[in-house]
Amino acid sequence: MALGFVLVIVVALIWLAGANPLHAFSGLIQGTLGDSYVIAETLVTAAPLAIVALGVMPALRAGVFTIGSEGQLVIGAMVSTAVTLSFPGSGPEKLAIGILAGMAGGMLWALLPALLRAYLHVNEILSTLLLNYIAGHLLLMMLNGPLKANAQIATPRSDPWPAEAHLPYLLDGTRLHAGVLLVLALLVAAMIWTRTASGLRYRLHASHPELSSRLGLSEPRAVITTMLVAGAAAGAAGWMQVSGLTHTLYPSVGGGLGFTGILVALLGGLNPVGIVAAALVLGALDTGAQGMQIGTSVPASIAEVIQGLLLLAVALVVAGRSLKSPGSKQSPAKPEQAAQMKEATP
Amino acid sequence: MNWHDLLFWEVVLAGAVRLATPLIFAALGEMLTERSGLINLGINGIMTAGAFAAVVGSSMFGWTGGLLAAAIVGGLYGLLIALSVIKGGANQIIVGIAIAFVGTGLTDYLFKIWQPSGQSAMFVPLVPTLKIPGLADLPFFGPVLFSHTLLTYAALVLLAGVSFYMARTRGGLRLRAVGDDPGGASLQGIRADRIRMAAVIVGGVLMGIGGAAITIGFLGSFTSGVVAGRGYVALAVVIIGRWTPAGALVGALLFAFFDSLSLRSESGFAGVPTELFYMLPYAATLFVLVLSARGKAGPRALGREPG
Repeated sequence: MALGFVLVIVVALIWLAGANPLHAFSGLIQGTLGDSYVIAETLVTAAPLAIVALGVMPALRAGVFTIGSEGQLVIGAMVSTAVTLSFPGSGPEKLAIGILAGMAGGMLWALLPALLRAYLHVNEILSTLLLNYIAGHLLLMMLNGPLKANAQIATPRSDPWPAEAHLPYLLDGTRLHAGVLLVLALLVAAMIWTRTASGLRYRLHASHPELSSRLGLSEPRAVITTMLVAGAAAGAAGWMQVSGLTHTLYPSVGGGLGFTGILVALLGGLNPVGIVAAALVLGALDTGAQGMQIGTSVPASIAEVIQGLLLLAVALVVAGRSLKSPGSKQSPAKPEQAAQMKEATP
Repeated sequence: MNWHDLLFWEVVLAGAVRLATPLIFAALGEMLTERSGLINLGINGIMTAGAFAAVVGSSMFGWTGGLLAAAIVGGLYGLLIALSVIKGGANQIIVGIAIAFVGTGLTDYLFKIWQPSGQSAMFVPLVPTLKIPGLADLPFFGPVLFSHTLLTYAALVLLAGVSFYMARTRGGLRLRAVGDDPGGASLQGIRADRIRMAAVIVGGVLMGIGGAAITIGFLGSFTSGVVAGRGYVALAVVIIGRWTPAGALVGALLFAFFDSLSLRSESGFAGVPTELFYMLPYAATLFVLVLSARGKAGPRALGREPG
């Protein structure tokens, strides 16, 4: 029923834009599944979302509410660009150095809010949000300064990456790059981790921090580890966007991927398979909305509206379910809730 | 113009007062919400919606229409959050993030339908400026303090009003009681749900007006991204100000001062990249947030499950 509401609102919005909803929906589907090119586009749009989301999953499970993926992704892309452009090396070396630099950049940007949260009790929601804006300006500063392209170009951007630093394409005629394999590897790793004792301790930390602390997971350790993991993943996603897609660092590299990635993690119920599924749905929605914008007069920002409405609908459905059955407190979609409740208290 | 010129500081400080206005409205809205024990993370989306509604309203009916439109839109978002969290029992942080997406996405969508080309910045009537007779002619202090739009003075009056309301009235006492100890408050016969509904809706109205204070307060037009994270700054301002109106004023002025300084930085300061100045307002806010992090000054039931 909640999905029905979302659908009604979306139809109303399309009608408001002066388009025929049926045409718009066929445009959406054409833009997502029309041919192998757009299917590949959907996959490469979903890939960074999945990586960011799988990266914040441990933090959100542990009740650490980091919203800094956007800035960490930007800094990851920036550091990996700086390193890739300054160090020589063969193909595989370049790729390895690039992703490591991206991860290091993302972790560096996550370290400050992690330490502030762990030792000075600074609300991590706010510190990470503020750092996102600082990261955006820092990127611009670097692209107008040390990382500025040698060619005379008015808009800020870096030099193009050398070809050996590009992620190889998997399918001719499309932009499907090898980065999607990284998603599969992360998915497997996340599925294994959630079933280990460590995974359980982090999850316990959200609802019973004292208990998890007695089991060997102290508060500072939980906060710092999960935030660094989230930073590393977002940084790797930033590297992947340049290495796999644009091959040049532009100021627009973040493009809201960090924010949407967090939404993907929540929509996926903080469980690895759910997250990858949610990333595919939102990736399809994004590329589909682009297709819809080309075919009809419907602006592509409708994707953002649908994403927000979906999250709202899911939050209401989860709440409705737990209201009906008080015994379902241990249901899989529940722990993050208790956790975030606690974390919101400054 | 440079930094050892008095005129420079006059322009920067007058700009700071102007730029603080949207933050004061938004922070007061968030403060009322949080005092009732709920947190509204959708604030940035609501400000964006208010900023746009103000431009549309102002282009049709003048600046009063703009303000009214922003207030109504903000109130509607507040109502949506209140219903989802209080009646629907949904997680307030997740609802806040969802509203942040819907607020910015829907605004961008409607803006592109309204102005399909997207590039023509449409200029609309602004809230009029009131030069306070006598005082506005003072050297230095006149331009800095006494020649602002009606919204700026309204923000200060509202600040005093909220201060009085929270400290001295029964309504304010109830609001604080609900935010600190909803169980105890309901034993006293206070309807916690109703007070929270009202606080979130009024908070949304103020956030909408805060957005309006950007577009019809000084810019005169709307572009996507015009709010530039000021909603999140307002969230920080509430914490920095320790949930008091006077504290929020100080926090808002702090951010606005650096914001105003960065706007002037393009015309001077040899050798220092302008982007560094653009980072400064956010960095300063973070810095003060760290300084004020110790101690628990917030409403005790803040962010906990309602009910």
